[in-house]
Amino acid sequence: MNTIRLDLIRESLEGTIPGIVATCSADGMPNVAYLSQTEYVDQRHIALSYQFFNTTRRNVLENPHARLIVTHPQSAERHRLLIRYLRTETAGPLFERMRAKLAGIASHTGMSGVFRLLGSDVYAVLDIERVPAAALPAAPPRRSLLAALRATTDTMAAAADLETLLTDTLAALKRHFGMGHAMVLMLDAAHEKLYTVASLGYERSGVGSEIRVGDGVIGMAARHATPIRIGHMTLDAAYGRAIRAEALDGGLAGALETEIPLPGLPESRSQLAVPVRAAGRLLGILYAESAQDLRFGYDEEDALAALAAQLGAAVLHHQHAADTHDDAAPTEPVMPAGTPVEVRRYAENDSVFLDGEYLIKGVAGTILWAMLHDYTDRGRVRFSNRELRLDPRIRLPDLSDNLEARLILLRRRLDEHDACVRLVSAGRGLLRLEVRRPLRLVEVAGPPR
Amino acid sequence: MNPPQAVRIDDELARFIGGEVSISVGSCDAARLPNLTRGFGCRVCDGHERIRIFVSRAQSRAVLADLATNRRIAVVFTLPATHRTVQFKGTDARVLSLADGDLECVRRYREGFVAHLAALGFGADTVAHMVGCPDDELAAIEFTPDAAFTQTPGPRAGQPLRQP
Repeated sequence: MNTIRLDLIRESLEGTIPGIVATCSADGMPNVAYLSQTEYVDQRHIALSYQFFNTTRRNVLENPHARLIVTHPQSAERHRLLIRYLRTETAGPLFERMRAKLAGIASHTGMSGVFRLLGSDVYAVLDIERVPAAALPAAPPRRSLLAALRATTDTMAAAADLETLLTDTLAALKRHFGMGHAMVLMLDAAHEKLYTVASLGYERSGVGSEIRVGDGVIGMAARHATPIRIGHMTLDAAYGRAIRAEALDGGLAGALETEIPLPGLPESRSQLAVPVRAAGRLLGILYAESAQDLRFGYDEEDALAALAAQLGAAVLHHQHAADTHDDAAPTEPVMPAGTPVEVRRYAENDSVFLDGEYLIKGVAGTILWAMLHDYTDRGRVRFSNRELRLDPRIRLPDLSDNLEARLILLRRRLDEHDACVRLVSAGRGLLRLEVRRPLRLVEVAGPPR
Repeated sequence: MNPPQAVRIDDELARFIGGEVSISVGSCDAARLPNLTRGFGCRVCDGHERIRIFVSRAQSRAVLADLATNRRIAVVFTLPATHRTVQFKGTDARVLSLADGDLECVRRYREGFVAHLAALGFGADTVAHMVGCPDDELAAIEFTPDAAFTQTPGPRAGQPLRQP
């Protein structure tokens, strides 16, 4: 039985000081190797990266026991583990977590192009022994993550609507966790992409920017519904900040720019993407990054995972709560005077341009177009979430789609553009359209040119 | 297994394994359970045919017991700055007390290794503790390498060392 808990020595598994492994062949000859990567799986299991078919691997297939030494990066405290090989995983959350991390390690150690994960070798941990040697005192923790988590969840519980929830959660992340660069992306399951709905700490908010599921650290975390954490800047293109290139894919080369750049640090060294889930499905991703190496450890990952679970439940709640209101009662619109603004909509990708300047596309673009139509046709300015959800023109991808998040996105884009059209909250689940100049709606069948 | 024929350690290789390398020592017991410890310095002796490394007895009880039983050993040397890695294996390992010059060798090794890793950004205090132990804990392990492999990360890792 283990006398030392594996979760208490997780920092030593981060590989800052590489682990060493000894194995033994069937005919009793020892072998020693350095490890690129060791990964904590759970209280009784760890995984080692399988990159090449080497003697270590041949040995464990013949004789499953291995001995491991891991070293704490600051205290130099060493632990010796007896482990037994169980299986190799070549796909799935564990594999993807390790593959992303290895990409960071490879770039950091000048091993890009050499290190490629072939599999995650999962081992049972049979025994943990502290190597009897003097060690330095452990450094005090940077902060109490539990206290930070409590303060943040208190903030989240106080939020009355989705927009406040997102804004206040990011602010709390900065204040209580010292994570000053973060964003929340929501999943658009029908289009297999994520869109940024809130961010903090970037020059431009990037609200409305999109990333494909499976692209980069964020897309991988979404695809596999698992936290992805990188401790070093990676040069691996797979984890670069891939921006959706759908306009080009769709043969729209030369089209007007309808991409909003994804916010991000130019030299991001630590990245942590955590799935936001509720009721058994993925709602989005909570992402934090830092210009510092190894900024996020296992404990930060745990804290953010717990926070993301709370966030998921709250997002789901606000989404439903916003829909419970009755339909909006009509009010008298105020028709503004002045030069009309041309609102141009391209049906091909539902993109909307205000006086030739790109504003938004996709579902949010369709919502805006439907509202503006109702405004110009009938002078309507009040809308309820419930009506919008049921509106056949809007064609929400599915019932689980987060309409409320789309509206936040739309509202922020209008605000950031200082547009002559604004969307303001008129109570729970109700919106009011504020139009400051006359509008002229133009619909174009083809792609934006 | 390779035939027990001594691997020639040329001057360059001797300098490498006697330098600022990380040293790890593996063994296995009668039940084929592997054991592992860290080495604190290395000398090449007996006309470049034998390798002598140093370990802490307290930190290496299982390894020393294995070597006393079956004398089979694997030792890996790696230079952190370049990742150049070499593994030697032997079947005649003996555990010995320190001889003249050994303690000096361990001290030089510790200083060099700490400086090497400090230049790579590791805390000197941390590294010093990784390779530290009281002098009276030190033991020497000597063996004749009968196989040598390159283990620098990459697809060639694990192949026999090309002999000059």
